[in-house]
Amino acid sequence: MQANTRPIRRTLMSVILLTCGALLAISASGFFTYEYLTFRQVTLRNLQILGRAIAANSTAALAFDNPDDAREVLSAFKAQPHVIAARLYLNDGRLIASYPDGARAPKAAPPLGSAGYRFEGGILRGVQPVVQGDRQMGTLYLESDLGEIYEHFQLFVALGAVFILVCGAATYLSSRRLQRVISDPILALATTARQVSERRDYSVRAGKPPGLEFGLLTDAFNHMLTRIEGDQSKLHSQLSRLDLLHRITRATGERHDLPSVFRVVLRTLEEDLPLDFGCMCVYEASAEALSIAVIGARSLPLSSALALTEGERVPVDQNGLARCVAGELVYEPDTQDMKFPFPQRFAAAALRSLVVAPLLVEKRVFGVLVAARHAAEAFSSADCEFLRQLGEHVGLAAHQAQLYGALQRAYDDLRQSQQAIMQQERLRALGEMASGIAHDINNAISPIALYTESLLEREPGLSERARGYLGTIQTAIEDVAETVARMREFYRPREAELVLARVACNRLIEQVINLTRARWSDLPQQRGVVIQLHTELADNLPDVMGSEVEIRDALTNLIFNAVDAMPDGGTLSLRTRVVAGSSSGEAAGYVHVEVTDTGVGMDEETRRRCLEPFYTTKGERGTGLGLAMVYGMVQRHSADLEIDSAVRRGTTVRLIFAVADAPALGTQQSPQLQQPTRRLRILLVDDDPLLIKSLRDILEQEGHHVTVADGGQKGIDAFTASVTRGPQFAVVITDLGMPYVDGRKVAASVKAASAHTPVILLTGWGRRLLADNDIPAHVDRVLSKPPRLAEVRAALAELAAAAKPVASRADSA
Amino acid sequence: MGLLSNIRALGPRCALLLLACGVAGLSAAVSESQLKAVFLFNFTHFVEWPAAALPRDSAPFVIGVLGNDPFGHDLDEVVRGEAVNQHALAIERYPTVADIRSCQILFIPAAELRHLDGIVAQLEQRSVLTVTDAEGPLPRGVIIGLFRQDNRIRLRIDLQAARASNLTISSKLSRAADIVGGGS
Repeated sequence: MQANTRPIRRTLMSVILLTCGALLAISASGFFTYEYLTFRQVTLRNLQILGRAIAANSTAALAFDNPDDAREVLSAFKAQPHVIAARLYLNDGRLIASYPDGARAPKAAPPLGSAGYRFEGGILRGVQPVVQGDRQMGTLYLESDLGEIYEHFQLFVALGAVFILVCGAATYLSSRRLQRVISDPILALATTARQVSERRDYSVRAGKPPGLEFGLLTDAFNHMLTRIEGDQSKLHSQLSRLDLLHRITRATGERHDLPSVFRVVLRTLEEDLPLDFGCMCVYEASAEALSIAVIGARSLPLSSALALTEGERVPVDQNGLARCVAGELVYEPDTQDMKFPFPQRFAAAALRSLVVAPLLVEKRVFGVLVAARHAAEAFSSADCEFLRQLGEHVGLAAHQAQLYGALQRAYDDLRQSQQAIMQQERLRALGEMASGIAHDINNAISPIALYTESLLEREPGLSERARGYLGTIQTAIEDVAETVARMREFYRPREAELVLARVACNRLIEQVINLTRARWSDLPQQRGVVIQLHTELADNLPDVMGSEVEIRDALTNLIFNAVDAMPDGGTLSLRTRVVAGSSSGEAAGYVHVEVTDTGVGMDEETRRRCLEPFYTTKGERGTGLGLAMVYGMVQRHSADLEIDSAVRRGTTVRLIFAVADAPALGTQQSPQLQQPTRRLRILLVDDDPLLIKSLRDILEQEGHHVTVADGGQKGIDAFTASVTRGPQFAVVITDLGMPYVDGRKVAASVKAASAHTPVILLTGWGRRLLADNDIPAHVDRVLSKPPRLAEVRAALAELAAAAKPVASRADSA
Repeated sequence: MGLLSNIRALGPRCALLLLACGVAGLSAAVSESQLKAVFLFNFTHFVEWPAAALPRDSAPFVIGVLGNDPFGHDLDEVVRGEAVNQHALAIERYPTVADIRSCQILFIPAAELRHLDGIVAQLEQRSVLTVTDAEGPLPRGVIIGLFRQDNRIRLRIDLQAARASNLTISSKLSRAADIVGGGS
């Protein structure tokens, strides 16, 4: 502090002293100049007087040529020590006397023209004519040094120096006192300023010194401090709000669902803004109402006084909230002045100031923040601005929460899709494997079937026992063929388009019961669990339109589910019934197919979600696809699905189909034309030697002439050879699946060589080809393996009859 | 400047006179008579005559020379054109005492001092400045004596005689001269 105050005081002192010094110097030099000039003039004048006097006294000496007298007269100059030389000349220039005695002096007179007194080179010279009366007697020459002037000035300078010193001392002493008048208030201000800056305490005020201007300065300084203090506190509150906003933003950023975002915002506001009451409402644009979503935890006690509860709706228009819903912040400084019921409720709960801030997402209001305090006019404009900004942030957070939810759902969907695709891939692989197995089994059992049928027909001499055995073999083979066919159907991929056909549900149910017997009967029994099967099938049930395969699959799935729901046994019921349509109904009536169990049942959540793909309660055992497939089938059939379920009491799943329009004429006729066939030349192409042998034996027994080719290429070669060279084949029977050249190529070659020759395709891939209309080009008839003798006969008879005149593929459809 | 114009006003003759006068004191070039003539003239500047003794109207201011004139033409040369109080200067020569007329200055050569008593009587009650060049003590009744000393002409003045003649001798003149005949 000492070090800092010095310069001010010293500077002030220096300024004062320098000013005084300069003033003194200027005035002293003025005086000096004046004195110098005046004294010169005085000196000159004195010398002039002296010269005149001496001249007057020396007239006689000159007139009468008396050097002694002249010398005596001149000797008077002794009294004037500064007169360094004096000489008297006669008119003819002769020197008559000089002073001081014996001084070397020019004998000649000075130029007479230079009469007068003047300063020349530091010496005052005087040429004084000596006149008596009107006659000049001679000339007096005088020289005076300026010693007198110098002496005078030495004195003057000495006096001046003393004077200046005294003045300086006086000035110094007085300025020491006087500068305090200026420096003290400034130092006081500086001290205050330092205190302010060191302590950051803006409440310090400088004392007011006397003097108007210093008073003004101090006032200005204090005013500035007041302003800074105000700004400081504003800054602090801004900072704390910013911090609050930051904390809220962070807290909301960590939450991804709207209620918890709302809750954390309200809690922070209640604690830190603070609020006496706060709640969040969601705007329901359709209802023109605000639905109270969350009430702050601390506000809950007040909410009863307000009669506000979560979930309650507050109409917008009736309560003057339209402005807020339009995106503006509404501030009611005193709810008692408001007539609307909503603010009135707050007034009744002694919450007098109310702010309703909109929550905005992309300029759209999706909700409002309601903040209230007990005191009237309790929200500053900064508070309102803060709440408005907070509204935007919360809106953003809510938007993010929504986005997060959407993302989560998208992710879940993606995961489910991935699982579905994996599942389908598995099923597809399984299906292909099953197809291959079915093909091989069909090929393998074909000779057995053919020979057994042939034996039973052609060998009347068989014993009853043998005939009995053969019959059993035949049935077993049929069963094997059926089982293989079912297996294939089960895994067969779905067609893109549903092919509707008449379906008799009762028959279908019986099939399904047999198909699933292992699951509801055999497997539970192994664990000692008994499941009773109860069927209740309506008589004269009308057909429905649909895909037999899909409905069968659906029923199978339902039975599996029912069995799984009864791990401790129970009753499985299958029902069909007809329900009449409504009077103005579209359909004549409905067929209800119900699968009921007495199992664990489903709770509400499970019941709601059970149709979702991959939703399962069975853990790893379930794919979560069963009911989803059922539901898909129902949708594709424009049918309905109803589920009644109660926990621990069981579940009923009801499929509701519309009744088919018109009763069918039997399309599934199988005309067994047992007419005798004429003998035919047949080309048999197959790569399986067993099958070739058995079929050849059978066809030859029928009386046909059979040529065999054990491969596709050989078959084509044999046929082309017969076309060119004859005798031509009447019918070609070829296997479908062969290495290198398959049945399709054989058929194409045959038709290329002889368009009217019928081609019969044998396939181990099952009967589905027929139903699917998937008959390859150039093929007239498809027979599945194992071939039945009756079918082979019928096909040959039909084709051979038609082949002669015109052989056309259209006939075979 | 004033001095310069004064000197010009003096005219060439005066300058010549002064030059002659100056030369006299130092070398033989200036004769004693010339110097004495200048002295006689110069007395007109340092002596005051009573009004009655001054010439009236246009009468000249007269310097008389008694007896044989020792100056020759020198005195005439000195006073030519000169004036005292607007009176022209004139030289009158009085061969004998009886010839003495009205004059303001009377030069009595040493040879004429034998007639001193007559001269004094003649000049009784007349304010005439008497001047002699006789060496030795100043004779009674003569106011100014010119004498040689150290090769110079010196003055001797009898102030008593001057007072008796009702003449006022300038103190300046007294300073340059030896004073006899009582103090002031």
